[in-house]
Amino acid sequence: MSWRLQRVPTVPAGAALIGRIGAIVLALACVAAVLALAGSAPARLGAEVIGSAFGSVAGLEDLGLLVTPLILTGIAVALTQRIGLWNIGGEGQFNAGALAATAVGLNLGGDEVWMLPLMALAGAAGGAAWILVPTLARALAGVSELITTLLLNFVAALLVAWLCTGAWRDPSGQALATTARIPTELPPLGDTLHWGFPASVAVAILAAGLLAYTRFGYEVRIAGANPGAALYAGIPVRARIVAVMLLSGAVAGLAGMIELTGTVHRLQGGISNNYGYLGIMVAVLARGSCLGVIAGAVLMAALLNAGIVLQTQGVTTSTVLAITGLILLFTAIGDELVHYRPVRRTGTVG
Amino acid sequence: MELITGILSTALLAGGVLALAALGEVLAERVGVVNLGVEGLMSLGALTGIATVAAAPSPVLGFAAALGVGFAFGCVFAAATVLLRANQVLCGLALTLLGSGLAATLGRSYAGAPAAASFPRVVVPGLSEIPVLGPALFSQNLLIYAIYIALPVGLHLLLFKTRHGLNLRAVGENPAAADAAGIPVTAIRFWYVALGSSLAGGAGAYLTLAFVPSWSEGVVAGRGWIAVALVIFAGFRPLTAVAAALLFGVVTALGFVGQARGWPVAPAILSMLPYLGTVAFIILPVVAWRRLRGWFAAPAALGLPYHRDVR
Amino acid sequence: MGVPRALPPGTAAEAAPGYPPGTPALVELQGITKAFPGVLANDAVDLTVMPGEIHALLGENGAGKSTLMNILTGIYQPDAGTIILDGYARPLPSPQAAIAAGIGMVHQHFKLVPAFTVAENIHLGWSQTPRHASASALEARTRALAERFNLAVRPEAVVGDLSAGEQQRVEILRVLARDARLLILDEPTAVLTPAEARELFSALRTFRASGNAVIFISHKLDEVVAIADRISVLRGGRKVATRSAAGADERSLAALMVGHDITLRRTRRRAPGTPVSAAPVLELDRVSARDDRGLPALREVTLALHGGEILGIAGVAGNGQRELSQVVTGMRPVAQGTVRIDGRPVARPDAAAFAAAGIGHIPEDRLRSGLAPDLSVTDNAVLRDYAGPRIGRGGLFRPWEAARLARTLAADAAVAVPDFGMPIRNLSGGNQQRLVARREIRVAGRVLVAAYPSRGLDVGAIDTLLSYLAELRDQGRAVLLFSEELEEILTLADRVAVLFAGRIMGVMPAAEADVETLGLMMGGRDGRA
Repeated sequence: MSWRLQRVPTVPAGAALIGRIGAIVLALACVAAVLALAGSAPARLGAEVIGSAFGSVAGLEDLGLLVTPLILTGIAVALTQRIGLWNIGGEGQFNAGALAATAVGLNLGGDEVWMLPLMALAGAAGGAAWILVPTLARALAGVSELITTLLLNFVAALLVAWLCTGAWRDPSGQALATTARIPTELPPLGDTLHWGFPASVAVAILAAGLLAYTRFGYEVRIAGANPGAALYAGIPVRARIVAVMLLSGAVAGLAGMIELTGTVHRLQGGISNNYGYLGIMVAVLARGSCLGVIAGAVLMAALLNAGIVLQTQGVTTSTVLAITGLILLFTAIGDELVHYRPVRRTGTVG
Repeated sequence: MELITGILSTALLAGGVLALAALGEVLAERVGVVNLGVEGLMSLGALTGIATVAAAPSPVLGFAAALGVGFAFGCVFAAATVLLRANQVLCGLALTLLGSGLAATLGRSYAGAPAAASFPRVVVPGLSEIPVLGPALFSQNLLIYAIYIALPVGLHLLLFKTRHGLNLRAVGENPAAADAAGIPVTAIRFWYVALGSSLAGGAGAYLTLAFVPSWSEGVVAGRGWIAVALVIFAGFRPLTAVAAALLFGVVTALGFVGQARGWPVAPAILSMLPYLGTVAFIILPVVAWRRLRGWFAAPAALGLPYHRDVR
Repeated sequence: MGVPRALPPGTAAEAAPGYPPGTPALVELQGITKAFPGVLANDAVDLTVMPGEIHALLGENGAGKSTLMNILTGIYQPDAGTIILDGYARPLPSPQAAIAAGIGMVHQHFKLVPAFTVAENIHLGWSQTPRHASASALEARTRALAERFNLAVRPEAVVGDLSAGEQQRVEILRVLARDARLLILDEPTAVLTPAEARELFSALRTFRASGNAVIFISHKLDEVVAIADRISVLRGGRKVATRSAAGADERSLAALMVGHDITLRRTRRRAPGTPVSAAPVLELDRVSARDDRGLPALREVTLALHGGEILGIAGVAGNGQRELSQVVTGMRPVAQGTVRIDGRPVARPDAAAFAAAGIGHIPEDRLRSGLAPDLSVTDNAVLRDYAGPRIGRGGLFRPWEAARLARTLAADAAVAVPDFGMPIRNLSGGNQQRLVARREIRVAGRVLVAAYPSRGLDVGAIDTLLSYLAELRDQGRAVLLFSEELEEILTLADRVAVLFAGRIMGVMPAAEADVETLGLMMGGRDGRA
């Protein structure tokens, strides 16, 4: 009598969720073990981290500031996942959106009511413009969007850094590598939090509704799940790919605009703070579900927040990136392992 | 003349980094595995090289240690993607985040300082006096000859002129057919992915021990991704991969030389050249040379996990 | 080598008369059991193959034939049971072990690398391939092998460019080159013309004559009786019988295969006086089209399909059937010529518009193009109706209306669906196919294009499905039926067209057609000559 593992093609949602949680716990356990070996007390640090994020209104507001961009960059990735593609250029589209919003804000600046919508529009357009070339290359020539979207991240970062230290540098001379403060701001919601937070939650809900309750969403689902079936049903796959990718870029660009007008208020190098890359993680944790992205963003924000709290312990944003990588690796492995069931090898029957 | 020598000399170094990493990726993709963790592996290799020479000032030792670290992390990646058959894109992104983050965290004490030892230039007597080309080609570190000649030629012969190469290409084209023909698919995938990762680690060390030579956070700066793109541009072949790497070395060198000589182009724009060039070069062949699509075709099973005992 | 068994496998000689007692079987399988999620694919199967025999393995789709052979070739590991070769128990843990033991298989879906040349494919994973394997050396060796085994192949040709019949020769050559003593062929004639099949049979008899054995997997009764020495029948994962082919009759074999007496193929002739529409509902006028690689696949095809008739398309797979079925359903653009629906030329191909015009399509590969296996039963059920007024009015998608339609379809198709939100891949293959068929019949107000509708179904389900087609015809709709089984076409269709190399070789009334003429036309010869 022996056992063997058998792979089943589909996994019930409950088992998949357990796989996710297991992966996260295992990754954090690895981190705790490393911290313990390095002489820290993981339990105490953990309590400190959780207390700082969830223990006070101020902590929750700070968390909300991190959640806001992560929801949007997560949605950007989740949207493309639905049509079977990866937008890993969220970082660049975030920068491009912030840059376009800055251009509008610095040049037309004021507190008129139409400024914010105009800047949001500019941000979305900037993000969409940044993904335009990868989109057309993918839809028309079949060039993998993975690498094209990613490479443009570096270009966007260089572009922002160049403008902030050059043509757009703060003329007052106080700051070396940022633009002047942008007069238009998102209205506050509490002490530090702003209306960008509910706006990003609304975007997530809208995206979920778009996918679940429109013909467009249905066609995207079919095209993503089986392009052959889409061809068979007469769904214009290329047009849907273009629409989804541009939308994805626009949402990431909007994230840049919200971060700019809500939190940072000046364009500066590194404004994207890896949110674009972390959005991949958020979408993966959410299994491509747009509402799940909200939960994934909270988790990711808590992790980022831990990085900030633990700075005295030698933890940096890079450390958080490394931990994110570890969780992602375990999640990918866990996603595959939940497909396996132990089966007993029986003796000869009959 | 001096300008061309300068460009070529820098191009060989910059291209060497890309060539090593691209050769590693050729190996992984030829057996059907996309390794998007090259960027992370290079970061780890870059730090390993610097840290090793800080402890024992031998660039060879530093390079070897980076190969070892690349191999070790490659084994982790291969275990996840080949043995456990987890999603290759996700695992690659995870490895990139993990490697870059880990290297940046552990490398803070080395940041900014020059490498304690670097690969010395060896001036080949006589040949190095050839005008223009001589100083560029024959006043380099010795590793460069391995990267541009020995390794790609060796890999080309292995892939296209031997029985083993035939078998390993079959694994990347059609693992089910290879399996039915008695080729050990899993073992071949595992070891070549690990070997390819090892080269990526070496590429990182070559960056910090020969090209830059120092460590700073973000020193790899997307070179891992460019290497992945080069493999596509090079049609998954070692010889063309190295040639393409040299081409990108020239593009990078143009940026450096332009900055040094004060060309009337913003340095930031020059720095963008390699990235924009890469995007252009992976789109152009598909658009411009549709007839050559077969030549550029990826291994048919690229990115697909292979399950034997499943239906 | 394995452990010698205490007793010689006397059962083998008993089961195969004509061998001296004590002759060890070439292969003996004992109690082989193998389970997959939800299916017991093999249940304690015993099978004995003697040297010098052609042993046919007969069974319906899903009877467990392929699984059993995958175990014998080391690809799958059995959950229980023993494999005995030449009287020695030997586990076959890998394909290498099976090849070393002299077992070679030609799979139904060829295990070749399309991007490689014939020579490269022959030498894959072979210990006798020279270590330094240049293209010219491999081609020279392949030429020598082709001569030795008398199999015509072009060593330098890229396998992806070859016809299915040529690819089969490459597979057989590869197996023979490795000194196989047992050759397993899985549905080998599916891709062959009748003439090519006869050539294959004579090659197999030569192979048998030198003391080797063949396992011949098929579901075609007539050819099994013609070629085999003994026949084993599998049903539902169990072996139900082994018979000598001499004196076996097709009807009793069919009954063994299905498990109950069946009447072999009811003819469904049209009721006399059923009207055929005067004007064609769907017309192709000198239509040419290219395949996915841009090569010509249809050449000047002219066909007219009338309401109230079934037009059967016969031909060996890969002669343009796929492209033809896609052209008449709006999935593939035409390079030249005109497609007319109800006499009106179609401006541009649009699968959704064709469906809306009343052309349903049961596609060749249900899972690859007719369904999205990872999406829910509901999502799949509404693939033709999501844009319609009930579900899709105003650009929206109403999941509750979609679910209602899905329930209706499932009820019509007599498929029990426990949860309409679960991925459709959780349904059995037969049930998925029934849902697709029902969905397409529902939209087929004018024409139903049915590509290989019986493929993958058991006999009972085939019977139901074919009667649907006859019903549609009797209601005055047109049916375009693609099939690789001439018998199916001849019993069901009113007219038959033969497709060869992208051309229509001829169209004739089914009542006047005979298998011999059709066979000639399928091989590219003019049947009338």
